[in-house]
Amino acid sequence: MTLPPAAERIEKRALPVGGIALALCLISLTRGNLSQSYLIAYLFWLSLPLGSAALLMLYHLTGGEWGFVIRRMLEASTRTLPLMAALFLPLLYHPTQLYQWADPAKVAADELLKHKQPYLNTPFFIARAVIYFLVWIALSWLLTRWSAQQDHTNDTRPARRLLAMSGPGLIVLGFTVTFAIVDWVMSIEANWASTMYGVIYIVGMVLTTLAFMIFVARRFALAEPMNKVLQPAHFHDLGNLMLAFTMLWAYTSFSQFLIIWSGNLPEETTWYVNRMGQGWQTIAAFLVLFHFAVPFIVLLSRDVKRKMESLAVLAAAMFLMRMLDLYWTVRPAAGGAPSLRPMDLVAPIAIGGLWLWMFLRQLKVRPMMPVYNPQGDPSF
Amino acid sequence: MSDEHKPVPASEGENPFIGGEHTYATVTDKIAAIALARRTSKGWVLGFLFSFALMQLLLVAVGYLLYKGVGIWGINAPVYWGWAIINFVWWIGIGHAGTLISAILLLVRQEWRTSINRFAEAMTLFAVSCAGLYPLLHVGRQWFGYWLLPLPNTMRIWPQFRSPLIWDVFAVSTYATVSLLFWFVGLIPDLATLRDRAKVKFAKTMYGIFAMGWRGSAKHWYRYETAYLLLAGLATPLVVSVHTVVSFDFAVGIVPGWHTTIFPPYFVAGAIYSGFAMVLTLTIPIRAIYGLQDFITDRHLDAMAKVMLATGLVVAYGYMMEIFMAWYGGHPYDMYMVLNRMRGPYAPGYWALIACNIVIPQLLWSSRVRANAVFLWVLSLVINVGMWLERFIIVVTSLHRDFLPSSWGMYYPTKWDVMTFLGSIGLFLTLLFLFVRLLPVISIAEMRGMVSSPTDKEGGHH
Repeated sequence: MTLPPAAERIEKRALPVGGIALALCLISLTRGNLSQSYLIAYLFWLSLPLGSAALLMLYHLTGGEWGFVIRRMLEASTRTLPLMAALFLPLLYHPTQLYQWADPAKVAADELLKHKQPYLNTPFFIARAVIYFLVWIALSWLLTRWSAQQDHTNDTRPARRLLAMSGPGLIVLGFTVTFAIVDWVMSIEANWASTMYGVIYIVGMVLTTLAFMIFVARRFALAEPMNKVLQPAHFHDLGNLMLAFTMLWAYTSFSQFLIIWSGNLPEETTWYVNRMGQGWQTIAAFLVLFHFAVPFIVLLSRDVKRKMESLAVLAAAMFLMRMLDLYWTVRPAAGGAPSLRPMDLVAPIAIGGLWLWMFLRQLKVRPMMPVYNPQGDPSF
Repeated sequence: MSDEHKPVPASEGENPFIGGEHTYATVTDKIAAIALARRTSKGWVLGFLFSFALMQLLLVAVGYLLYKGVGIWGINAPVYWGWAIINFVWWIGIGHAGTLISAILLLVRQEWRTSINRFAEAMTLFAVSCAGLYPLLHVGRQWFGYWLLPLPNTMRIWPQFRSPLIWDVFAVSTYATVSLLFWFVGLIPDLATLRDRAKVKFAKTMYGIFAMGWRGSAKHWYRYETAYLLLAGLATPLVVSVHTVVSFDFAVGIVPGWHTTIFPPYFVAGAIYSGFAMVLTLTIPIRAIYGLQDFITDRHLDAMAKVMLATGLVVAYGYMMEIFMAWYGGHPYDMYMVLNRMRGPYAPGYWALIACNIVIPQLLWSSRVRANAVFLWVLSLVINVGMWLERFIIVVTSLHRDFLPSSWGMYYPTKWDVMTFLGSIGLFLTLLFLFVRLLPVISIAEMRGMVSSPTDKEGGHH
């Protein structure tokens, strides 16, 4: 299908812009001052294909028109995973920059790191990453393939397959994302552990995806042919989902905080000490206000959710807040006050540019709407 | 997009969640008849007598407890939280399914909730009543129970507001209040139906009083719908908040096995899991006895089974993260706690819990299992047992061997613990029997909305 002119323009420019930014990143990489900025940007953009896979499977399990109308965008988004796998490679260039456990000297000096060696070691780390990507790409492949088959038949078999894979698929996705996040982010502070950690990222990635999809759907709703399909009711449902995940984010984040604060054990509180001092507390308070309180209150309004434009503005703001949340989660791991390095801006443009390019290209190769919706068929 | 491929909203077309040929009249007849039948069936009388007798155990156990003190229970150093807290968490968890069904499923427009919500809400209320007893009995000097409330007093002594045990007081009492209101407001139109249909003067009067002058005018309905929706909105956060606070009771302490950040969502999922198991345990026999298969269809059971499967998997995620992080965190106490659960003196309980909560329920993946009511019923009992064991393992194994081996000990329940627990089951069943006999177990008003009326062949609209 053809994209709206604005999207065409973005697609044309995204590749060179992303490519140049990536080149800058790679230069910076060889000088050894990229890792954290890159990781933050990477986690942020990776949220989209993974969150899309989660939402697709949720949709296949529960139905609902909200999923039907953005389904093709979600599918296109999951098809960017091979690109994301390639973009993971720079993180492996110099693992000791990020991960103490990758440095034999530090491991030898630290009992706890020695204890974690069987899990936290570079070969196993890479092997796990390969497994995660294989699993995710397989999920994306199945989700897209069966959906495409459905376009050519009125038989419900592909839809049944999608339904059957979605339950196990969600489980597999949940576990792989959890461990990926433990590996890639939590292990930066290798002496710290929290059982809630994976859940917080999973909730965040779905929230990022919802915000992105609402924004994109709004753009598409301005032009033919999607303006005939996308209705305020869809935005209402998507807005409700965004509200639910905003609350879930606050719930999981606050629970983790409260439990650690109450326990007040030094090995656990370090994580918050690093994130609530030296200026980080301002960002933390900002997150409480604008990642939760304000969107929560605004999203309670039915009018906001049904007015596409207002919801899209809120979604765009939420999208940026997700970035800030990841920045607040990852950056303080190295200690020090908040600071903005050039790479903090370049890395998201690099990965984001390439990601958007791939996303829009993938969006073009399939019809924007599925031909047949067995979910709405009473005989299904 | 061609017309025949248009997505069809679930509310149009034939409703899959109601069987047989039903009209407004038959729905009303069928459901009201259970409460209004002149003769009480023998089965009901026997069941009620059994439950009532069981409840007497509670009376005896609590009476002796008030006389003698909590020393009659098995609690002692180092396990100060025994069956009382286990049963509290178990009962309060069971209640959550009712609130989820009645509030959240209403808000997300899941129509299949309609025939089970009344029943599930009643179950919630009765389960919360049983749950509420335990902490009150556990405080030791029960006559000072009101000290838990922040009452102004000359000594200026306040409860410790930082303690989740105090949040529990607020959470549970709010929960009980909102659940009661929600249930009662939902009952009003049905009570009016019963008032209009009752032949016995006394019944007519009583239903009349509680129907609060309901006449079914458009204005009544308008206010009713508004109130019901508002209460649903109020009840929704309670599904999450109550068990979250219960999980804080454990997690804010630093006891290995309690102090872990995954507890809140994992407790909430466990609560819904056990609650749906209890709904199935109760609805499957009731629908068979009163012939309600047209209203509580196999698709309802299927949907509930799926919710159980999903929440059960969240619980499994919680167990797994706990075990993994115990190793990953590298804390000797955490690691020991996990090993002690698996290999220590309570290991049989732990493995039984894994079997009941994680392994056996995987059968629910099979649609044939979900379609078999008898099998599902047995499975629901297994999950009920599993969730009780989970709380036992959490409470007892975490406490009985903590940091200092010199202060390790064992916990054994006494006959008074057992009597109190059985007695609370008696209380729960007694209330349920009364409910089934006196009130419509399915919402008549809402079920009418599900069927085609004689004049509206298209049907299905609210």
